[in-house]
Amino acid sequence: MTSAPFAVLGLYSKAEKIIDAATKIRQRKLGHLEAYTPYPVHGLDHAIGLGPSKLGKLVMVMGLLGTGLALLFEGWTSAVDYPVITGGKPLFSWQAFVPVMFEVTVLFATFTAGLAMLFLFNKLPFFGHPVLHSKAIKDITRDKLALSIEQSGAALDIEAARNALLENGAETVEVVELPAWPRLTLVSLLRSMAAIVAACVVAGVGIYSIQKLLPVVLPMVHMHDQPKLNAFRSSTFFADGRGMQPAVAGTVARGHLPPAFSKPEEAGQILANPVALTKQVADRGHKVFNDHCAVCHGTVGDGVALLSRAYGAKPGNFMTAEMQKQPDGYIYGVLMLGKNAMPSYAADLDESDRWAVVHYIRILQRSQNAKDEDLK
Amino acid sequence: MSAPVSRSTFARNTLVAMTAIGAAGAVAVYMNEGPARFWANWLVWTLMLLTLGLGNLFLVALERLVGAHWSVPMRRVPERIAALIPLAIVLLLIGYLSLPVLFPWTRPEAAHNPILVAKAPWLNTTFFAIRLVACAVLWLLFYFFYVRGSLRQDASKDPAFTVKARRLAPPFMVTFFFTLTIVAFDWISSLEPEWYSDMFGVYLFAGTFLSGIAAMAIGVLALLRQGRLRDVGSQHYYNLGTLGLAFTVFYAYIGFAQYMLIWYADLPEEIVWFKHRLEGGWQSVALLLPIFHFAIPFFLLLGGSPKKRPWVLRIAALSILFGHFVDIYWLIIPTISPTPLLGWPELVMACLFVGLGFLQIRRAMNRGADMPIGDPLLVKGLEWQL
Repeated sequence: MTSAPFAVLGLYSKAEKIIDAATKIRQRKLGHLEAYTPYPVHGLDHAIGLGPSKLGKLVMVMGLLGTGLALLFEGWTSAVDYPVITGGKPLFSWQAFVPVMFEVTVLFATFTAGLAMLFLFNKLPFFGHPVLHSKAIKDITRDKLALSIEQSGAALDIEAARNALLENGAETVEVVELPAWPRLTLVSLLRSMAAIVAACVVAGVGIYSIQKLLPVVLPMVHMHDQPKLNAFRSSTFFADGRGMQPAVAGTVARGHLPPAFSKPEEAGQILANPVALTKQVADRGHKVFNDHCAVCHGTVGDGVALLSRAYGAKPGNFMTAEMQKQPDGYIYGVLMLGKNAMPSYAADLDESDRWAVVHYIRILQRSQNAKDEDLK
Repeated sequence: MSAPVSRSTFARNTLVAMTAIGAAGAVAVYMNEGPARFWANWLVWTLMLLTLGLGNLFLVALERLVGAHWSVPMRRVPERIAALIPLAIVLLLIGYLSLPVLFPWTRPEAAHNPILVAKAPWLNTTFFAIRLVACAVLWLLFYFFYVRGSLRQDASKDPAFTVKARRLAPPFMVTFFFTLTIVAFDWISSLEPEWYSDMFGVYLFAGTFLSGIAAMAIGVLALLRQGRLRDVGSQHYYNLGTLGLAFTVFYAYIGFAQYMLIWYADLPEEIVWFKHRLEGGWQSVALLLPIFHFAIPFFLLLGGSPKKRPWVLRIAALSILFGHFVDIYWLIIPTISPTPLLGWPELVMACLFVGLGFLQIRRAMNRGADMPIGDPLLVKGLEWQL
């Protein structure tokens, strides 16, 4: 690629002079006017004809988009897709969404501002600004102010631009050429990627070693070695040398009161089903029965199931006339105490589940021994 | 340097008539509607005038503290609005009579409420009066130091005052935050003495500062419209817009943070404050706050160039002032009424206090020039460029 002229630079020492020159040269319309200065100069933006930045509007739109999306997302997840009541609040509690909405707004706005700055204003694929390759760049970054007439569309009239700058008090004038590689190339891209990967590796190794090292260094190690009792470790704190103390004798877990009877028959005499039969209770009983009982008693409760066939066991058949006559309390008692080969299910089922199963067994019995009036 | 006219253009007779009508109406309110409504309105307007005055004194001291140049040519405006402080102090001292009417902790039943018994070391009439007088004395000291000192400097042109004013700014800041927090706790949150919120002092500060800026902006723009404050331009009041923008966000942040934490925890002794202020029609009043105190000024002042247009700044400032009034109204009136009150009693009381406030500002405007012509920083301030 042959080099082409990109711009004509004129250098100035004083801010007033460059503003004056920019105002005059702008009227000649020789090309796109740009200024490069080591510090911000008041009024220069007006002099080179720079309009208000579009970035603000872009950030505004994207920020509002972030607000709206966050509201939609939070509203949808917590009120539509997975409604869970939290703290007794309504499902769509906008108050709880506001902090996230605010954060997402800031996220969208800052990302928009950052990326738009890179792509729109730093013209990202445009890699290595030509002025960076000029002879004047050292002066520009030190104490000189540069006014630049740059090509825009039509080819640049170098002589006219040079004269315009000299007539308007430029101390030195330089023609800047477009570098041979103005845009992002594969090589530079690969170099950048390699640098990013290297930075990630260094950062990762660094963080990993800090995390490994930090907890064993004083005073961080105090976080780990606290004078506390560990559940399964020995300890000299208690007389029996155990860290975790066994429950006090007579402790009863909630929902697991010990039975007040010693035989199922006794239970049949003293207990009645306290749970009213509803659709929900029946469904629960259905599930609990299928999970725990059906493997031996069969899904219809007739004592014929996969396991009984395989082992030759004879589980109870709920359909017999004798079983149908047994009171609810008897079934409950068997559940609690076990019978023959059947173990106790007291620990597996809580109070309401046990009575739900009792209800469900009654439903099974009714379903297998339907009477004529049930059809009406 | 300043224009020859530096006197107020407020029509004195109109203001006196307005105040007289308001005063007569206020007596009628006390007779017909009972003391609770009278004192509640009294408190709303007293706090309104007090926060406007303190907010502007704060702006004056803030300029001194950070050594700002841009606000020097406009400083006479907040100095004159700060004249509301002595007026508000008188009103507040009279308002001490409202204690048995509005404040439940002063009543004998409080002795049977364990929460109020625990709070009695702070909430008792003696200590309350001591705090009130101490705050008033501190405000008056700083008010006379900053405002009268600045007026004297007009004649003496003594730069030593500028140095002294800066040296006294840090103690003023500390005093200001303590006394304003005391006002918030004593005069507003103790209306429902079981309630507490650590943030409430900051909440009142946010509203005070914001309404102070708004009042200053309206004053500056009014003087500019009359052709006064020569050489003050958009580069000067642009900064008022910037500060206003920052503090609308600050106000919204503090207000919402206080509300959200209390809403989340839902504890009986905390939520009661918002229960009284978000039910029975008060929720519509509360809705005015995010609109007028935040959304309108925020979006108006967000851009760079709108802040340089006087009408944008004026609308934003008016919106903020209205929002600030709604805020104080919404903080106080729910303690006497489960539904919003807006009738002739509110209007005549508004007449009385608006009239008094403008009369006081008018008096202040007739003292000294429009600009602090003795301040050595004035030239730098006039040459200020963005």
